[in-house]
Amino acid sequence: MQIETALLVGVLFTAATYLILQRSFVKILFGFVILSNAANLLVLSMSGRPDGKAAPIVLDPNAPMVDPLPQALILTAIVIGFGVIAYLVLLLYRMFLDQKTTNAAELYAETKSEDAD
Amino acid sequence: MNWPIALILLPLVTALTLLVVGRPGKLRRWFAAGSAVGQLGIALFLLERTWHDHTFVLTLGNWSAHFGIVLVVDLLSALMLTLSTLIAFTTILYGFAESSVRIEHPLRLPLVQFLVMGINLAFCTGDLFNLFVAFEVMLISSYALLTLEADNWDIKQAYPYVAINLVGSTLFICAAGLAYGLFGTLNFAEIAMRAREMSDDPRVMALALLLLVVFGIKAGLFPLYYWLPNSYPTLSIPLAALYAGMLTKVGVYVLLRVFGTVLPHDLHFAHQLLAWLAGITMLTAVMGAISRNFIRGILSFHILSQIGFMVLAIGFFTPLAFAAAIFYITHHIIVKASLFLIGGVAAQLNRSDNLDKMGNLWQHAPWLGVLFLFQALSLAGLPPLSGFWGKYLILVVGFEQREYWLVAAAIIASILTLFSMLKIWNGAFWNSDDDREVCLWDLRWVKMTWIIAGLAVISVGIGVGAEGVLQLATKAAERVLDQDGYAAVVFQHLGKGATP
Repeated sequence: MQIETALLVGVLFTAATYLILQRSFVKILFGFVILSNAANLLVLSMSGRPDGKAAPIVLDPNAPMVDPLPQALILTAIVIGFGVIAYLVLLLYRMFLDQKTTNAAELYAETKSEDAD
Repeated sequence: MNWPIALILLPLVTALTLLVVGRPGKLRRWFAAGSAVGQLGIALFLLERTWHDHTFVLTLGNWSAHFGIVLVVDLLSALMLTLSTLIAFTTILYGFAESSVRIEHPLRLPLVQFLVMGINLAFCTGDLFNLFVAFEVMLISSYALLTLEADNWDIKQAYPYVAINLVGSTLFICAAGLAYGLFGTLNFAEIAMRAREMSDDPRVMALALLLLVVFGIKAGLFPLYYWLPNSYPTLSIPLAALYAGMLTKVGVYVLLRVFGTVLPHDLHFAHQLLAWLAGITMLTAVMGAISRNFIRGILSFHILSQIGFMVLAIGFFTPLAFAAAIFYITHHIIVKASLFLIGGVAAQLNRSDNLDKMGNLWQHAPWLGVLFLFQALSLAGLPPLSGFWGKYLILVVGFEQREYWLVAAAIIASILTLFSMLKIWNGAFWNSDDDREVCLWDLRWVKMTWIIAGLAVISVGIGVGAEGVLQLATKAAERVLDQDGYAAVVFQHLGKGATP
């Protein structure tokens, strides 16, 4: 399981990086969603090999359990990630409303004005 | 007593109360200012106690440090808390003086309180994952404040800020996960004890470099800083001062804490890398500052250049260098915030902060000019102002370590800093073209200048009483570098689940 998880994390990070570097807002957004999931999966895999271990609910005190702490960590991370992604959706939507475009390259093409006013 | 949590709960309660009392008004302002004074008082109390060799440790939920989250306030944390609450207090007051109740956005005060809460939590925490949560609280409030009153142009500048910080947060949670996988704990004290035994393990170095990237993004180190100088100028002046004073310095504080207290002390490659990145940051950022032609833009680039000095000191990695870094942080936070505020007053008097359209301020508002001179020369590092002592100490350590190239970079950066400060001086104060109107009838600037004068007095005090501040910084640096002492204090607090 460990090697497959490691590969999957790698693939997810690659895909996320590729998408974030695209021009379309929608692709950028999906890139960030995948990025946070890749990080969560990485943290989850830190609980070690799950083979032969029970879920972290104490039914039989002698049975080996998987380490529950990474699961608690990603629970927090998922909630935070959800909030941030919600904010990002609104930010991108606002930029679309302002500039009437969903192309990041177009958006930043002509901004060489030095003055904030 | 549960003092460490007071500075997290108080902003939280204030923010929630302000949210419930949704309408801007005089009373709401008094409440926010009162809460800020209270926070400053608590921070000063913590500073006084930690100065007398007391370290506050709070095991949350009474779980012992091996299982639960701990909050630790030592001398460095208390110093940073004092600075953050001081800057929050002054910028809140300045905001009151600057804009009337009628045009105040109802969400601004609560969001500032949430921001302060995140900053304070980052200073108090003794746990890597909790640090991540603190960063997120801080960042999400900072995103919200950045876009709260933004126009079309500002929004476009906000996106790079949000995007790079999202990547940074993701890397941070990866680093926290990997640290757990590597050490089996997230507690600073426990990581310190376990990491020391495996310091020749390449994975520790990999983790250190990952953390360096994460905190480098927050602090604004060389290849990772482009988000800052374009997004900060879009903020309104009091917020820009708060951001400029505190947010990047949280990154620097965490670098001090993580490399000093948590990770083993023999990661020479990481320290070298820090020092060189800092050297490059100083030079490139100060050149960026020279290229800009409006006050907020110049000052924003200067934040980065000064970050270079602090991180350079961390990279030298001796007790004296750490003391220099802490001294420099203390000096810089106050000077930088007050320079932003002075820029705000100047821009208000001239109705623009573009240096091509400013002028005549020396003639009409000489006291503002005096304040600016004090702070700008302090930033550039002229004796006997506070910036001189910080830079002097860093250069002394640099010569001790024979890092002549880095010392040269620091000196060039200082000279260029002086040059760009003179650019503001010439453009806004000295220039006496008759067509540059100075709106002295707009009396708001008087109150605003008094607030800045308060900060300037503190800053001059740091310069004149440099020896006392240096003693404080030296003591704080010793504590930060004392891993055994830190761990002993944390583990001394037994709680549920402790095995004596």
